[in-house]
This record gives sequence, C-alpha cells and structure tokens, in this order.
Amino acid sequence: MRALQGLRGLGAVLPLLLLCFLAALRRSLEHGLSTAAPFKSLPVQEEMMTKYSNLSLESHNISVTAAPFTSLPVQEEMMTKSSNLSLESHSISMTAAPFTSLPVQEEMMTKSSNLSLESHSISMTAMPIKENNKGNQICVDRGIMLQRNVTLEHSNMPVEKNITLERPSNVELICQFTPSGDLNSVNVTWKKGDKLLEDNYLVNATGGTLYTQHRVAVINSKQMGSYSCFFGEKKQQRGTFNLKVPEINGQNKPLITYLGDSVVLMCKCQDCLPLNWTWYGGNGSVQVPIGVPVNDKYVISGKHANETRLKITQLSEDDQGTYLCHAIFELGESEGHVKLVVLSYLVPLKVFCAIAAEVVLLVAAILLFEMYTQKKKKPSDDGKEFEQGEQLKLDDSNGIENSGPRHRKNESVGQ
Amino acid sequence: MPPPGGTPPPHPPPDGGWGWVVVGAAFISIGFSYAFPKAVTVFFKEIQLLFNTTYSEIAWISSTMLAVMYAGGPISSVLVNKYGSRPVVMVGGLLCCLGMVSASYSTNVVELYFTMGLICGLGLAFNLQPALTIIGKYFYKKRPVANGLAMAGSPVFLSTLAPFNQYLFNTYGWKGSFMILGGLLLNCCVAGSLMRPVEPKASTESKNKVGVRETDCSMKKRQKKLSVWEEINKYLDFSLFKHRGFLIYLSGNVIMFLGFFAPVIFLAPYAKDKGIDEYSAAFLLSVMAFVDMFARPTVGLIANSKLIRPRIQYFFSFAVMFTGICHLLCALAEDYTSLVVYAVFFGLGFGSVSSVLFETLMDLVGAQRFSSAVGLVTVVECCPVLLGPPLAGKLVDETGQYKYMYLACGAIVVLASVWLLIGNAANYRLLAREKKKSIHTKESQETEPLKTSQSPSVNIKSGKNEEWKGAEVNSSERETNI
Repeated sequence: MRALQGLRGLGAVLPLLLLCFLAALRRSLEHGLSTAAPFKSLPVQEEMMTKYSNLSLESHNISVTAAPFTSLPVQEEMMTKSSNLSLESHSISMTAAPFTSLPVQEEMMTKSSNLSLESHSISMTAMPIKENNKGNQICVDRGIMLQRNVTLEHSNMPVEKNITLERPSNVELICQFTPSGDLNSVNVTWKKGDKLLEDNYLVNATGGTLYTQHRVAVINSKQMGSYSCFFGEKKQQRGTFNLKVPEINGQNKPLITYLGDSVVLMCKCQDCLPLNWTWYGGNGSVQVPIGVPVNDKYVISGKHANETRLKITQLSEDDQGTYLCHAIFELGESEGHVKLVVLSYLVPLKVFCAIAAEVVLLVAAILLFEMYTQKKKKPSDDGKEFEQGEQLKLDDSNGIENSGPRHRKNESVGQ
Repeated sequence: MPPPGGTPPPHPPPDGGWGWVVVGAAFISIGFSYAFPKAVTVFFKEIQLLFNTTYSEIAWISSTMLAVMYAGGPISSVLVNKYGSRPVVMVGGLLCCLGMVSASYSTNVVELYFTMGLICGLGLAFNLQPALTIIGKYFYKKRPVANGLAMAGSPVFLSTLAPFNQYLFNTYGWKGSFMILGGLLLNCCVAGSLMRPVEPKASTESKNKVGVRETDCSMKKRQKKLSVWEEINKYLDFSLFKHRGFLIYLSGNVIMFLGFFAPVIFLAPYAKDKGIDEYSAAFLLSVMAFVDMFARPTVGLIANSKLIRPRIQYFFSFAVMFTGICHLLCALAEDYTSLVVYAVFFGLGFGSVSSVLFETLMDLVGAQRFSSAVGLVTVVECCPVLLGPPLAGKLVDETGQYKYMYLACGAIVVLASVWLLIGNAANYRLLAREKKKSIHTKESQETEPLKTSQSPSVNIKSGKNEEWKGAEVNSSERETNI
C-alpha cells in the first residue's frame, strides 16, 4: 500500500506483460503438474513462483482496482488460475484483557502494557477460510472470503493459531492491531521462525486499526512453519500462525499380543488423504522401514487412503516396540505411533491355572463337607429307610406302632 | 386339571438354612448368564480389526450367545428333570470354560460364532435354568425374596464385569482375556457344587423301591402303561401348553419382550443424539444398573408380603405397566436431568419386572413343573428378545428419531401389561372356582386316605394333609424339616 503511489504509473503496462508471461507459464506449469512425480516438478515451479512473486509485489500495489466481478487484485486471480492453487486467507485477532487468564504471550503483553503509560488494546481475529480448488469459481468465492476476512472481531482468542494444510495452497495471514496511541509509530514486521521477512506483506491503517497481511504461497515443506506478525518492538505484541501438516492418530494404548500370533496395526488420518504411507519399525532408536523387501510377515494395506493397516504375522519377541506410520503429504510428513507388546502365552496361562486350581479346591472342599455332614446322618438314614419300608407294609394300621421310631427319627432329623 | 400352582411341592422346601447358600450360588450362575454376553462387547473392536470384518458381524457373537442361551432352555430342562440341578450347572461351567479357551485360539469370525456363541451359550443355558429351578425347590414361603436376591446377580455382575473386562483387555489383550475369562467361568462349577439336591438320597432310593413318582399321586397309575406322549412328558412337560396360566404368561411375555430390551440398548445413543457427551450418556446406564441392583431384592421383599403374594400376578402386570409408561414418558424427555430421572424410574421398573419374572411363573405352574416351564418359556422368548432390538433400530433408521421408537416400545409393553392383567384376573377367578370344587370332592374322599395313598411322605404327614392342600401361605407348620 505504501508503494502504491509510486508505481501507479506502471499500472497500465504491467498487467499486459504479466498476461503474456503467464500464458507461457501456464502451459509449462500444467504440463509439469500433470505428468511429473510431485517431488521432481516442484523446484521448477517454485523458481517460477518466486520470480512471479517478485513481480507480484510490485504489481500488487497497483491493481487495487480489480476486475469488475471481484474485489480482488487482478494478479491474485491470475496466480490462482495459472498455478492451479487455491487461496487461503487467515487472519489472527487477539485481545489483551488484563484480568483474564491468558496464554503466556498475552500475559506478558498485559504486564508490559500495564507498565507503559499508554494502554494498548490489541485485537487480532482469526478466521480460517476453506480452500476451494475449482477453477474459475475461485474468484467469486475468494471475493466473498476476503470481504469476510476484513471484519473486525474482538475476542479473547489466544495469540497463536494452528493451521492445518494438506495440499499446496496460497495462504493469507492477517493481523489487526489497535494501538491507543499513534498508528504510524508502530513498526510492523513479519517473521518466519526467527528470520525476518522483507517482502510479501502489506500494512494498512484504517480508523484506529493497523492491518497487516502476509501472503505465502505454500508449495512444499519449506514454506511450512511458524509465521509471526510483530507490532512495534515489544516481543509480546505479536500473533503467531503455525502452519502444519495434518496429525496422524495412531493407537494410544499399547497393543498386547502373543508369540506366534498375528496383529493389525492401524493409523488413521481424520479428513485428510496423504499421498503415501510408510511404516517404520523402531527397536531403540534405529528406524527400519518395513515392507521394503516384500515378505509374508508384513502386509501393508491401504497405502492411498485415509487409513493404513500393517498386519504382522508370526510375532516374536523382536517384534516388540514402537511402530511409526509416516504419512507423506506434499507439504511434509506426519507420523503416528503404535506400541506393540509381545507376551508369552504363559502369562495368562498362569492366571488361568491359578483360577482353575482355586475352583478345584473349592469344589472339593464343598463336596467333602457335604459328604461329611451326610455321613453323620447316615446311621439314622438307614434306620429311616427301614422305618419307611415297615410303614408301607403296615399301611392298614394307623401308624401307632411306628409312633415310637417316628418320634426318634423326627428328633434326629430335627438336629 | 393339574393342581393349582400355588400349592407347595410334596417335599416341603426348607425355606432357609442351606437355602440361602443356594441363593448365593444361583446369584453367581444367573449373574454370569445374563451379564456375560453383554460384557464381552468390550473386546469386539480389536477383534473386528484383526479379523477384518464389519462391526455387525462381530456383534452377532453376542446375539448368538444370547440366542443359544435362551434356545438351550429345553435341553437344560430335560437334563435337570433327569439329573437334578447340580450336575447340569457343573457341566455348564465346564462348557463355558471350554468355549472361551477355544475362542482364544480362534482365527476367524466363524470360529468365534461356534466357540463363543454356541458352546459358551449352551454352557450359560445350563447355568440359568437349573439356578432358577433350584430356588423353587428350596423355597416356598420366602420364594419371592430368594428370587429377587438371585436375580440381583445380573446387574451386579454386569457392573463388575464390564470394567474388569476393560482391565483384562489392557493387560492381556483379547486372547489372554478370553483364556482368563474361561477360568473365571469355571467358578460356575463352584456355584453348582453348592446346589445340593433337596431330598436326601435315602428317601429317593426308598421311593424308587416302591416305584413312586414325585409328582401327582395319579401319575403312578399311568406309569405302568407309558405311552410315547408320557415318555416325552417325563423329560419335558409339554402338557404345560394346556395349562391356562402358563399360556397367559407366555403370550404376555412374548409381547413384552419385543419392546423390553431395545430401550436399554438405545439409551446411550439416544442421549448422544440429544447432544449429551459420551461419558454422561454412559453414566445414564450406570444409574440404571445401580437402581436395578437395589430394586430387585427390595421388590422381592415387597412381593413376599402378605398383601401382595396372593395377588402376585397383578403385581407383575403393574410392574410391566410401570415400565411401559416410563418408556412413553421418555419420549417427552428433552434435557439431561429428565433423562436421568427416566433412567432411575426405568431401573426401578426393569428391576421389579425381572425380580418377579420367574417368581410368577413358579407361582403359576408350581415348583415341580417349573424346570420344564422355564425351558419352554425361554425357547419361545428367544424370538422377541432377538428380534426386538434390530426392529427398534430399523424404526429409528426409518423415522430418524429415537422418540418414536420409545413410544412404540412403551405402547407394546403397556399392551402386554393389559393383556396380562386381564388374563390373570380371569385365571384367578377360574382357579378360585376350581378350588371350591376340589375341596368338595376331596372332603368326600377323606375317609380312605391311608389305603390309597402311595407316597410315604404323604403317609408321614397324613395328619397335616389339609394344610398342604390350601393355597394359603401362612401356615407356620411348614418350618419343620423332614
């Protein structure tokens, strides 16, 4: 925006030059993307992109008066069309409220602002925007997205934002800062990690808010990392965007298996589709890739899906340990852990034998106890049998003769 | 017409003493039978991953186990009729152990169906029916309390087995856990060894000497010319299908079970659907199980009271109606608190129904025919128990809401309760009429008791015969142990 005035003169000529250049670029780019393997063609593209981004810095400031149906600078549209990349815009807004429990950065900021005479209210909003890979439609969509982007939101969000990127895309990072003092005295800088960034960002001041925007064309893993916008010299007044690849979910609890068994280890990625999966077996610190010499022991399935399975047969003690599943994205790698424990069959067998022994003991004790109590009854039982036999013979009588023995029997049973 | 079920068996049940130990043994057996199929679901996720199948294929293991447990009822009844409860329960324990240990060596789902589903299910069937039967043999006066206490085994075991299974899984994996669970199921043998037969061996031998059956006096005549029908009935009493009370019970229960278990199974998904988080939804089930645990013995005590016992069939119908109304009101539940209230009342209803479920059957058919009755009831109930949840699930899928499923289940259960109420009211009236008739005829036969009676036990108690005739419970002379 600052260089806008100076380069306005070139406005008419440059877009035409760009168009010619891009026409040539487009054909080669398309060709490059469709035929070559991802890791081969990228350097070539990057080179061109860097060149192009050098161009774009200059032209960007000019073409604020963009094509009619969108409020975008023209080159953004072209950049997207030619590179088949999507635009992502992120902006962070942070507020420092003195009496809330804030993350460390905000806390320090609060302290510092309390110390200073000026009271700063910094607002940075974070609004993720969904990427859109469809050809021409991007323009219109992006137009809407950008407009949404500019909306100020004062919220107590943390000053750090994690952004998950799966495919190469253009990312727009926006920080908004509302100082209570003089706007122009605030020096806005962008850093990637510790390296200061010299180009590719805008600073705008409207109302009482400083608005800075940084565009990153994320092609490969080199552009991933931590981007921070700094307002002024104080290290605490900043917002950080962490560009990361999606995380992989392995299995949190260790898998218990036995010798000679087979097991299936699974790694899953929520809502993402890696280019490739590889498995590594870790015994100690040495990571050995699995399945490279293809053998029966390891069977990997689902290499090009959002989950991968590794089946290991004929488990032995050496197979114990942590297995890593690497998901390869265009923008880097991510890994998940699965821990495998191999036990011997004797371990549960011992428990089983212990329980079985307890059961046998109890059953024997109960049955012996029963036999013992029945033996006590036995002499009287023999008598009882005799009595019953006699009673049946003496059916006709009223049982008076048996009253004596019956009495006795009743007494003994009553015990 | 067979004797009214309210009469106690010829050999007076001890109603105490060793009976309480038997209740403990039945507690263990019933607990394992009902809780085990539900508690093994903890292992299914890993097994599904290893055998590379869908979740529904794995869930069938649990259904198969339950199905075989119910369908194995008649086999179990036949064996109990012939050999008594003790050997059957011990064989059941051994079968369960064998099933689980061989399941730990299985390599595909079909083998699991066979080992866990069939063998283990059969073993559990051999545990359930004899446990219920022996309570009837040991108790008469305090039978509802004994039933309530024994049935309380189900929720207690479920709440202990579920977390215990999780622990086993974390420590030993699914294979080791199956082996250890097999060992645990051997404890059913311990329970079986405690189930001492009621009559002492001596009297059985003497009875055999004179060749007299335990049951009706009139059966002695028929024994001399045993037709095929009688042979079969000796093992499994199919004549029960002519028993009016039994038929009412059976039909009512079939209708009830269609809508009985689905609300339990769908409670957690229903809560999650309303936006409640996973742990709170699981807590609902724990609340239900907790209330159930205490409801069963309490309701058993209530059912034993002087007021309720003679009208226990009405009590059962009202308990079923209460449960049905709970389901109907659940459809109105909107937030978490109302769901918790529902869970509490449902636990109460579920517990009271389960507590008197088998007590009412014993009351209708009598302890002698109970073993056959329970076998026949479970094999017929097998269908609605298995069909209920999938049908309810289909209803949820069709309508997209759980509300209608609860309304449907509530309506079915209320319908069953109304049917039971009407049927039992009619049954009671007819029974009273028959009793009056039989008293008249017996009074005329009283003059020649000693000559015609065959059973020595009747001979011994000739002076006390009248007390055994009546269906009244409050005779104190029953305390004597003979």
